[in-house]
Amino acid sequence: MAIRMKTNSKSHIPQHSILFEKIVPISLILMGIITLGLILFAAGVLLGVIQF
Amino acid sequence: MSVNQVLPFISTAVMLWFTVDVLQRFFVRRNPAFLFWGIGLAMFGAGSFAEAYLALAWNKWVFFVWYLFGAALNAAWLGHGTLHLLVRKKWVHVVTALLIIGSLFATNLMFQAMSNLDEAVFTTDKPISEQYGTKALDAGESVPAGAQTITTTYRGEQVTAVRGLLPLGTPVRLTTPFFNIYGLLTLVGGAIYSAYLFWRKRVMPNRVIANVIIAAGALSIGFASTLTRLGYGQFLYVGELVAAILMFAGFRLAARPQPDEEVSVQAVPSAAD
Repeated sequence: MAIRMKTNSKSHIPQHSILFEKIVPISLILMGIITLGLILFAAGVLLGVIQF
Repeated sequence: MSVNQVLPFISTAVMLWFTVDVLQRFFVRRNPAFLFWGIGLAMFGAGSFAEAYLALAWNKWVFFVWYLFGAALNAAWLGHGTLHLLVRKKWVHVVTALLIIGSLFATNLMFQAMSNLDEAVFTTDKPISEQYGTKALDAGESVPAGAQTITTTYRGEQVTAVRGLLPLGTPVRLTTPFFNIYGLLTLVGGAIYSAYLFWRKRVMPNRVIANVIIAAGALSIGFASTLTRLGYGQFLYVGELVAAILMFAGFRLAARPQPDEEVSVQAVPSAAD
């Protein structure tokens, strides 16, 4: 028999938090759009559409 | 010494600390995600150090390290660590094999490029990110101030180009976008996806914020690299430092236990019984 430590997470996102209700989702959407833009840029370089 | 000469040294120190932290976790937990992150971070650190060195003096093998690890491979290896964390399917091992083969292929191409470097063009007056590539000028495009040009035949046409260390059409440069697209997609995409999963389940707020910070850090280097390719190389070093600090902060925040986490001790059967 061995003794193991087990962690029970009880942490939850607080309700009515501006950070989690507004800032986080907007940040995720914006970063997703920027990521897509950068991937398209890199693909453009790869295909020779964008010269560098 | 200018600010742009100091920043890569600070990025190197942060990355070294970050690499040691991540590799320690790998040796304790044996999770391959930490190994790939550790390798990617070591590459990032080596690239930053090479950049710092090249701001002071020339050495072709330091340039080798800078281009291969700093510009080409590091994002893909970091992103592959994130993929390992998110996906536990057999096809990830196939991707691992492809990443290793692709990295060896790029290394071989980089070795081949070393004999063709236009070393005479190197100067410590400009960041290495602004002088590594030879750029063909379009018809009517003016030559940037202080740039050295060369007239050469490229793809069967006579072109005038701004000289860089790697000549026009150097094959290793064609591999870089593949690695960077994969790295951006997995590292930033993976962090955004992780943040979204925790946010949707409304659990682990520290990991939501940590992943947002990691994604922002990874994006800052992607953004700075893109600006460099567009001719605004002065933002690269600050972008790298911001990336190093944000990703490290995000990683530490994700690993930190929550204040209300409860630790219980329970007896479980072990293989030794």
